[in-house]
Amino acid sequence: MILKTNNLSKRFKHRLVVSDLNLEVEKGQIFGFLGPNGAGKSTTIRMLLSLIAPTSGNFELFGGDWKTQGKKVYSKVGALVEAPDFYLYLSAERNLKILGELNGWISRNRIYEVLDIVRLKDRARDKVKSFSHGMRQRLGIAQAIMCKPELIILDEPTSGLDPEGIKEIRDLIVSLSKDLECTVFLSSHILHEIEQVCTHMGIIDHGKLIVQGEVQNLLRETDFFVTEVSTDKPQQALNLLQSEPWVKKVALSDEILKVHLSAECRPKLAECLIRNKIRVSSIIPRTSLEDYYLSLVKSESDK
Amino acid sequence: MFLTLKAFYWESVKIFSKLRTYIGFITIAILIPMIMLLVRKYGFDIQSTAFRSLENSFFFVGTLINGLLISYYLMNVLWVHFPFFIVLVAGDVMAGEGAAGTFRMLLTRPISRFQVVTSKFLATFLYTAAIVLFLGICSVGVGILVIGGGDLFVLDKGILILVQGEALLRFLLAYILAVWVQTTVAALAFLFSTISNNSVGPIIGTYAVIVVSLVLSVLRIDALESIKPYLFTSYFEVYFAPFSNPIPWHEILSDVIHLGAFILIFYLISVVIFMRKDICT
Repeated sequence: MILKTNNLSKRFKHRLVVSDLNLEVEKGQIFGFLGPNGAGKSTTIRMLLSLIAPTSGNFELFGGDWKTQGKKVYSKVGALVEAPDFYLYLSAERNLKILGELNGWISRNRIYEVLDIVRLKDRARDKVKSFSHGMRQRLGIAQAIMCKPELIILDEPTSGLDPEGIKEIRDLIVSLSKDLECTVFLSSHILHEIEQVCTHMGIIDHGKLIVQGEVQNLLRETDFFVTEVSTDKPQQALNLLQSEPWVKKVALSDEILKVHLSAECRPKLAECLIRNKIRVSSIIPRTSLEDYYLSLVKSESDK
Repeated sequence: MFLTLKAFYWESVKIFSKLRTYIGFITIAILIPMIMLLVRKYGFDIQSTAFRSLENSFFFVGTLINGLLISYYLMNVLWVHFPFFIVLVAGDVMAGEGAAGTFRMLLTRPISRFQVVTSKFLATFLYTAAIVLFLGICSVGVGILVIGGGDLFVLDKGILILVQGEALLRFLLAYILAVWVQTTVAALAFLFSTISNNSVGPIIGTYAVIVVSLVLSVLRIDALESIKPYLFTSYFEVYFAPFSNPIPWHEILSDVIHLGAFILIFYLISVVIFMRKDICT
């Protein structure tokens, strides 16, 4: 177990921000920590990084208690907490040098290597104040990975980025997980991001963990895989699909068929429609994590 | 220990990479030669002001004004004016990182908070020593170059005349003591900086404490005598002590210890506050 929290709680004066949180993250996972704004994600991450002290409970990093391990354990952790704030009056290279040196030692080659990964090599000597938000975000990723961590903790890493930047960071996270073989703990309030990037996830709301597990399993269990189909004969297609055993549920709405079926059955769906001479103009799979997420959050707030 | 030294090095790099660090150095580098040039031109007026009280008892031939005497008088800026350059930097060392959000990067490294706060404190001390000694070197050096050297004529419970070589040694001692005095100011600003998340508060706060303490220290009111030992400004005068004859070593040592106690207290409070502080910015 790379990361484990045991009844982790944090109270700011009279406000309980995180309540008895029990998370488990295993080696190699890209763990998405999902929740709406103010759910307690950043507070949890700050506790995991010893930026704030838990009010009660504890957590384990790499199998050891955080209190007994001391700060040394953070040599195996790379982190980016919220906005990537650097020393603006220093160059990118010098910023990385300072942070890397506090990890023990960092070579110039390694600094340029990570700057190359995040496509900032040619801006290495420029002061960070001249960087755009996206560039700073990439530099933030660079500082998180430069000491070859076993665990990377990223707090809303795509926040404030344009669509191109968001895609770039997401791709980078996935490739880092594969290339560096490290575990990634990623917080986000963007459902789509978790769905695209993560293998596992935990959902937090009002400081409480609602659910955690493998992303695909959680979705599969909850019947939220929806495939939207446009055809020239929607009513005929509806009747046809209702009789198919591999279709869990099908409905017609605004001339679009909403078919609930597992991802593996999607080719079968196209084949079935075509075989019955129904012309298909589009098949759009929508794994509606949003529906799932909203249902969980709603049921939690109803309690 | 090695990591603390490494952090101290990088904290010093950070301090000396900021523009605000050089405001004091630039001001000194402009102001001191300007004062010396003005004294060279209007020196007589200053001489008559300074020695007016002795004109009835002594007959002065030639001029007593030289670079050393002006440097001696310039040491008065160390009371109220010079601390501004200290608090400008010391007040920003901790609060600046809090405001900029860079603590989030720094404290997620395998370095303890004690090491961070200690390295920052040492770097603040380095800046303090550098700027005070720069003032000393500029003041005495430029003074001798522009106005000229010679014996130093000091009024201290009578007249004390120090030959140039002896005067220079006493200036050296005086400025070393001034470093210690200004370190007390820096430590207080550092403490406020640890509490605050913006550097304006520590600067104003430290200055307010200095001014109030100075007023209380210099007022000759019996009721205030009992609190004076607890005011760090009561020991500020120590850097003038080397210009007494004989040098009051015992008094200097006592003042240095008292100031050292204030520095230690301010530092320890900073450590405790920072170690317990939640980094929420």
